Amino acid sequence: MKQRISIVVMVDAVGALSDRTLHNGNISLVDDSSAGSKHQGTPDLVTAVSPGQVVQWTPIHIDVQTPVEIQSIEFLSGGAAPAPAGAAAMPRPAGHSAAASHPAPAAASGTGVDAVGSNGRENYDLLVWEGIVPHGMTPGVPYRYRLALRLHEGPNSVLHIDSPALMCV
Amino acid sequence: MAQQHGIIVLFDVENALRTRSLDGNTYWFDNMKLFGSTGVGSEQLVTIVPGTHYLDGSQATEQVLNWLPAALGSIPPTVPRNYLAEQGRADDRRTLDELAGLDAAGGVEEDDVKRLQRRVGKRARKPASGRGLTEAKLLDVTGRTTTSSDAYNYPAPVITDITGPAVTEKIMYPAQYGSPDMIYDGWYWAATVDTSRPGVYRYTMHIQLHELVERNDELVWESVDLTCESNLKIINDPKRNGFTGAGVGVLPLPPVPVTG
Repeated sequence: MKQRISIVVMVDAVGALSDRTLHNGNISLVDDSSAGSKHQGTPDLVTAVSPGQVVQWTPIHIDVQTPVEIQSIEFLSGGAAPAPAGAAAMPRPAGHSAAASHPAPAAASGTGVDAVGSNGRENYDLLVWEGIVPHGMTPGVPYRYRLALRLHEGPNSVLHIDSPALMCV
Repeated sequence: MAQQHGIIVLFDVENALRTRSLDGNTYWFDNMKLFGSTGVGSEQLVTIVPGTHYLDGSQATEQVLNWLPAALGSIPPTVPRNYLAEQGRADDRRTLDELAGLDAAGGVEEDDVKRLQRRVGKRARKPASGRGLTEAKLLDVTGRTTTSSDAYNYPAPVITDITGPAVTEKIMYPAQYGSPDMIYDGWYWAATVDTSRPGVYRYTMHIQLHELVERNDELVWESVDLTCESNLKIINDPKRNGFTGAGVGVLPLPPVPVTG
């Protein structure tokens, strides 16, 4: 079993901003798991993981002078658990309104971490997105997550997808 | 992954040649305003370089600077590299066609010949010691050949060196690189930055402009070397885990995942 799994998120920031969506081929997820991941290269990547492994997400931008960072990763809950207070306090950027028609998924966590630099500016390059796969995942069931990306700043800068998942094998 | 920095340096070439100084004749514009660059669009640009480090102190993100020189009131640098030569040649072809036409029509008017002479335009030579400038016809900013000595297009400004405290104190490591991007003549200046020592550091950019002078009945492009200054502001912050705000922890998975 590998100790670490990398998930690389490739983004065409200009395409995503002008389409106002990460779909239409503007995002591609690839991992290096050797345990049978599915849908490599698509927004629907299902990464095969085992308890104890460290998973790390890294964004890569096609146009090197565009700022592309991960703003949040929230695992989507199927239960009726209320959203944690931290998530409620998060301002919802306009980009999220498109998802309002779906049943609002209760975010497990992963938001609200302080990304402010010493000069008072937000800089999501400061955040490292990695974590340990816990014990107790139901094997064979995908745990989908909301991957929110921040492309520059402003009301339309945050876009997300709800399709990728981790799956315990 | 952190973005690379683009820094456009726009020169008022005509004014700079007249005053023999770049003071008041440069405009600096970078893409880092969102991270705290100040003076964007002015001569007092301070480019922010937001460095990051891991908890063990090692540098986490490599910051890269790219300089893009441009000239005010010139044919835009985005036209193809052979644009000037093509335009000159196209005008020659038209002139030859019209000359042939004059002959076929019978009589040749003096006015017609004079008009065509103007169309032939003027050619500027480079001095023997010069480098980089191809001998070409003078074009005005609309890309037409011209004989006017004050309505012509300046060659693009050339960065010849980057020096100053930011370089001598080893904050940045500038170099000129070859590039398939012909907008900048196949060359561009870039630098990597050591972000471990926060502070404001000045740097000097050495610029070569070209002035059209008449010498021995010939027009010659002569180089004029000038300098201008700008600043880097280095800051540095520790990386932190996006899930925990501190070190690495267990992924926050829900007891029951969403279905569908």
